[in-house]
Amino acid sequence: MAGLSFENYQRNQFLSSRTNGTPKATSTGTTIVGVKFNGGVVIAADTRSTQGPIVANKNCAKLHRMAPRIWCAGAGTAADTEEVTKLVGSNLELHSLYAGRAPRVVSALQMLKQHLFKYQGHVGAYLIVAGVDPTGAHLFSIHAHGSTDVGFYQSLGSGSLAAMAVLEANWKPELTKEEAMTLAADAIEAGIWNDLGSGSNVDLCVMEVGKDAAYLRNHRTPNVREPKQQSYKFARGTTGILSQRVLDVCQVEEQVVDVEA
Amino acid sequence: MASTIASEYSNEVKNVPIEHQFNPYSDNGGTILGIAGEDFAVLAGDTRHTTDYSINSRYEPKVFDCGDNILMSANGFAADGVALVKRFRNSLKWYHFDHNDKKLSLQSAARSIQHLLYGKRFFPYYVHTMIAGLDEEGKGAIYSFDPVGSYEREQCSAGGAAAPLIMPFLDNQVNFKNQYQPDSQGTKRRDKKYLNIDEVIKLVRDAFTSATERHIHVGDGLEILIVTKEGVRTEYYDLKKD
Amino acid sequence: MNHDPFQWGRPSDDVYGAYNSKIANASPYPSMNTQQPIVTGTSVISMKYDKGVIIAADNLGAYGSLLRFTNVERLFPVGENTVVGVSGDISDMQHIEHLLDEMQIENNYDNQYADDEEALRPSNVFEYLANVMYNRRSKMNPLWNAIIVAGLENGKPFLRYVNLLGVTYSSPTLATGFGAHLAVPLLRKVVDKEEDAAKTSLETAKKTVEECMKVLYYRDARSSRKYSVAILDNDKGLVFEKGVQVEDMVWGFAKDIRGYGTQKV
Repeated sequence: MAGLSFENYQRNQFLSSRTNGTPKATSTGTTIVGVKFNGGVVIAADTRSTQGPIVANKNCAKLHRMAPRIWCAGAGTAADTEEVTKLVGSNLELHSLYAGRAPRVVSALQMLKQHLFKYQGHVGAYLIVAGVDPTGAHLFSIHAHGSTDVGFYQSLGSGSLAAMAVLEANWKPELTKEEAMTLAADAIEAGIWNDLGSGSNVDLCVMEVGKDAAYLRNHRTPNVREPKQQSYKFARGTTGILSQRVLDVCQVEEQVVDVEA
Repeated sequence: MASTIASEYSNEVKNVPIEHQFNPYSDNGGTILGIAGEDFAVLAGDTRHTTDYSINSRYEPKVFDCGDNILMSANGFAADGVALVKRFRNSLKWYHFDHNDKKLSLQSAARSIQHLLYGKRFFPYYVHTMIAGLDEEGKGAIYSFDPVGSYEREQCSAGGAAAPLIMPFLDNQVNFKNQYQPDSQGTKRRDKKYLNIDEVIKLVRDAFTSATERHIHVGDGLEILIVTKEGVRTEYYDLKKD
Repeated sequence: MNHDPFQWGRPSDDVYGAYNSKIANASPYPSMNTQQPIVTGTSVISMKYDKGVIIAADNLGAYGSLLRFTNVERLFPVGENTVVGVSGDISDMQHIEHLLDEMQIENNYDNQYADDEEALRPSNVFEYLANVMYNRRSKMNPLWNAIIVAGLENGKPFLRYVNLLGVTYSSPTLATGFGAHLAVPLLRKVVDKEEDAAKTSLETAKKTVEECMKVLYYRDARSSRKYSVAILDNDKGLVFEKGVQVEDMVWGFAKDIRGYGTQKV
């Protein structure tokens, strides 16, 4: 049957009343942006992922490839952004094989928003979709409930306000590729410095009409850790070996058998 | 009174009144760390001040020299922390007035702070409090308190946001927990020894740079206050700002 | 023992006093003198520069999503070298304004040094407000505001924040409400550390604040185009500019955006 299954609803209610609530998924915290320029579009993301106040990953990748020239930046529930992007990416490829044409950004947009709308926001993916196709360069944002937005610049995630402030202050029409890259990276940096959910490095992906997408992983690394004050190498034997037992779990015997004979 | 509660799954009617109550507390992040040496003690804290995902200030000190060679910090809800330190300083001032400028001993300071905290037992100061100084024999000492005044003297202690990250590191590196003498096959513990000031500063800096890496409420700057019989001195180091 | 059949079993009034029926008839819910903001003012933004401080706030009093009052002044000069900027509930703000007035009258009354060594300093004004705010929150009856006190003290810029919880902090750049999310990142690009303020001119500071007010007008739905700026400068003293407007907005691109996805015309 199509649609959502609520068969585990009662079980989940019972479980959460007996435990410390429902388990919480890893959130990417995140600052992500996209900026259009003359002849293309660039998207960017920070690389911090968090579980509550703890940094889960200092250099995770939030830029996903949906098609060779259509990329997607994801904020929200990490697993959902990953999975929904993969799913739609696969369907996009099947569709382009069937049609014998390059996939379009609007197709990705429509498939993503219909999927997300169907799940009524329970698939927690907040995405910035961008790319180039035979109809030109495109930039969209999608919210988890399925609403979409078009614009020359977009920002999403917990650092979206910091990033948007930079975009609103410095964006101008008719940007060059280099200007757009700088603006996008500056917007991400605003998130890195000012939003606690964002941090570490800047990833970038530049998509130009008629060219292969350029994925620039760790385009900026403004947060290299200084060396530690001392080494914490322990003297050998600091952890005492109390007892030792060696088990032969299996014995491997090799034998050459001549099958021909 | 029946009202609608939005759950994770749906809007459902529950027989619970919705109370919109003013919450008098908030969490302003940050972390503090105190280590006692043989003839000195340090109390260190990061200088980041936060609410939720925002950095309010990159430099808002929270470790204070209260006079009489007593260092104090109350980490957690910043307004309560400031109020508590202010109250302690005031009581110290009155102690001097009333007792001909007699120096307040660290253990007396600790007991006095217990009363300040327990005095608000049913509307607590939402803070983890620590004081550092020298005891009556001139040995370094740290006292740490829970929000309602339970306290203990310790060789070292961490408080605030990243305390769970720093405390096990301290157990291992200051009290040598889980470290054995290399050729004793885990039968003899590594001998305890006092760390000197340089070793302690190194440990504190590494503890804070590590906490900065993995906790979003820690960072921006590290301020270390060091107390010896000569008095109090301060050291400052930058931390990462992301 | 009372033998009146309706009072049977109760301690008799003439021996033990009247029974306090308030206790039995008490409301099942706690007494509530807590509130929510009604008419509100949005962000206050501020920054230090080499010779002083600059602070700005718009002139809107919003009633929910209704732009109800469009000419509200939220910056208050106190004495010669302090300006207090208030965001949050407007009626609480007017109460604070009243408190500040009283404080000034009290300080000037019978005080021949009121203009000099016993003049109100920004740190005095701040300490007073911070205590008012913390005491009100401790009575569970807060003043629903976030306040920035800006000023000059001994020739040095003073900037400090306090809110309804009594939480206080200082920074060379400060903002309340939405400004903390939208303006502070832009202000920090100019002045991040205390040392940066000493390298920043009034001209740069003014330009930065104007830029921030523009971004806030773009993106804060409860903001207005008209705002006030106050500058406390070592050379110029207090400069209070009212009725300033957000200028040079970019809207040319809007005509090129159609729909929300696939729409072409």
